Amino acid sequence: MSARSVDAGRLAYYALNGAIIAFLLAPIAIVAVFALNPTPYISFPPVGVTGRWFVKFFATDDFMVALWLSLRVAVVVLLLSMLIGGACALALARGRLPGARFLTAFFMSPLMLPAILTGLALFQVFQLAELDRPVWGLIVGHTLVAVPYVLRTTLAVLANFDTRVEEAAASLGASPMRVFVEVTLPLIRPGVIAGGIFAFIVSFDQFPISLFLVPPKGETLPVVLFNYMKFDLDGAIAAASMVSILLALSVVLLLERVIGLKAYVKL
Amino acid sequence: MTDHSLPASADIRLEGVSKSFDGKVKAVDDVSLAIAPGEFFSLLGPSGCGKTTSLRMIAGFEAPDAGRIRVGGADITDVPVHKRDMGMVFQSYALFPHRTVAENVAFGLRMRSLPREEIRRRVAAALKQVALDGYEDRRPGQLSGGQQQRVALARAIVIRPPVLLCDEPLGALDRKLRQSMQFELKQLQKELGVTLVFVTHDQEEALAMSDRIAVMNAGRVEQVGAPAEIYDRPRTRFVADFIGEINLFDGTWDGGRFIAGDGRSLPATMNGARPGAGAVAVRPEKARIVAPGEGAVAGRIESANFLGGQVLYRIAASGDRHMLAKETNMGAAARPVGTEVGLLWNEADAVVLEG
Ligand SMILES: Nc1ncnc2c1ncn2[C@@H]1O[C@H](COP(=O)(O)OP(=O)(O)OP(=O)(O)O)[C@@H](O)[C@H]1O
Ligand SMILES: [Mg+2]
Repeated sequence: MSARSVDAGRLAYYALNGAIIAFLLAPIAIVAVFALNPTPYISFPPVGVTGRWFVKFFATDDFMVALWLSLRVAVVVLLLSMLIGGACALALARGRLPGARFLTAFFMSPLMLPAILTGLALFQVFQLAELDRPVWGLIVGHTLVAVPYVLRTTLAVLANFDTRVEEAAASLGASPMRVFVEVTLPLIRPGVIAGGIFAFIVSFDQFPISLFLVPPKGETLPVVLFNYMKFDLDGAIAAASMVSILLALSVVLLLERVIGLKAYVKL
Repeated sequence: MTDHSLPASADIRLEGVSKSFDGKVKAVDDVSLAIAPGEFFSLLGPSGCGKTTSLRMIAGFEAPDAGRIRVGGADITDVPVHKRDMGMVFQSYALFPHRTVAENVAFGLRMRSLPREEIRRRVAAALKQVALDGYEDRRPGQLSGGQQQRVALARAIVIRPPVLLCDEPLGALDRKLRQSMQFELKQLQKELGVTLVFVTHDQEEALAMSDRIAVMNAGRVEQVGAPAEIYDRPRTRFVADFIGEINLFDGTWDGGRFIAGDGRSLPATMNGARPGAGAVAVRPEKARIVAPGEGAVAGRIESANFLGGQVLYRIAASGDRHMLAKETNMGAAARPVGTEVGLLWNEADAVVLEG
């Protein structure tokens, strides 16, 4: 009897997990179905399997230029936000700054604002400065909303950081610089990288901010897709989404493989 | 077999060292100590008395507000941590979690830019010394508490520091492991000849291991001495009370005799005490149980605790006082609870306390 109740509990547990996974994966599955469906407009149920939308996506120059721009911007944003977010987190956690709590809230604030407002505000700033939407302006905008992710994950690591480990290194003869390189950096790295992955995805998928900050003919992929959808709603959109998802996934896997995310530090 | 390149151990002097945090109470208040080369020296005292702060000032993690610190004759008060050349073992071990055991131990040698081959050889020797050979490639997270503790020790001694600082290094271990590590640490310290400053709040540990002990209270050093001296001749009420069990009597010195609060004269010799108010103390094992009329103090046995080799009696005396007496277990049955007894001791066994 007790064995059966255990089984029932286990069954419920698996069912719940299955439901959650289905809920998370269903949109991706639907996008995949649309990307492979040969009908000239998005429709359900699918009538067959084709690669033509992928071919169209990769053969359209507008898409390729935008994809390449989005990728380059996202990589720069990834690097910048790891640098800025990591440094800010160290300063906030270690620097004994007056008003550190206020500063933390301030740096996190781009997450609280609707991104469309941030985009509009930046747009106006660039207008006032008479700048014609340069690429670095786009990067600044993305970095602004990406930094909080790195800040949050790095602060979480630093909150559990045993500073005795750094003291031990110093007592063994490591200068402050070497303590930083040999001990502090490796120990906060998983947090910085976890945040960096978010930063990459935030930039790569960024729509509201980009909408204001990209010049005509210099649009990122989400903006190009949005414009395309206004006139055509065919499988190329779905194929583009699949490509985006796979790219984001490969960045995560790459960072995980190369630098190692899991490691010894618990987030 | 023996390593002939033993480190020269150094003496440590604290001269009027003080430290307060946030401008408030002094964590360490005008402490002066002279620790001899090769000595096993313990800082002992209750929680918050400033032991860790004192040790951290020697290590260089905290800067004293006043006073100087000298090691091997050189004033190191303003020398940064990484140039002090001291081994440090933390209570939490503070191993590098992202490095293997061998890398942890090699760290200090790498900082000294020693040749690879020498590092490898010395790491192997240090791990052997703490009986951890074969664990080179494990990470700290894969070791037991006692093993981590030994890695921390190996990491500190491999640099052959003239001074080794330990802050409650055995505090996180269970009792049995703790006792065997006490023995091993003491052994290793003698082998290396290193000057060891050992922080503990455990008086038994300090008494068992130390060459000398400094008993600290509220940031000050109350008494410095060998374990037997601290135990047998505590100078202050605090030390008498903190170390082991003791019977304390308040009273006055009057014409060379000690008169307790209730007017009785107690066996004690004044040797140097100032006339007027004073206190004496008697260890339970120095107090003899005699017939009720014959003792300096009379009372009734309230409880008898069998301690194996000894029996500890708790005796209720007049005026709501309790006293302790220890008798060696000679195989006879313990004295029954409720028996009226007297307590007596030799004059020489009554310790005269300051203030
Ligand atoms: N970094 C600090 N900031 C503020 N106060 C501190 C700091 N470090 C220690 N103190 C205070 O200084 C006093 C002495 O602390 P210390 O850590 O030296 O005590 P301890 O003897 O090692 O005690 P324990 O046995 O509990 O470890 C305590 O009152 C403590 O609260
Ligand atoms: Mg302490």
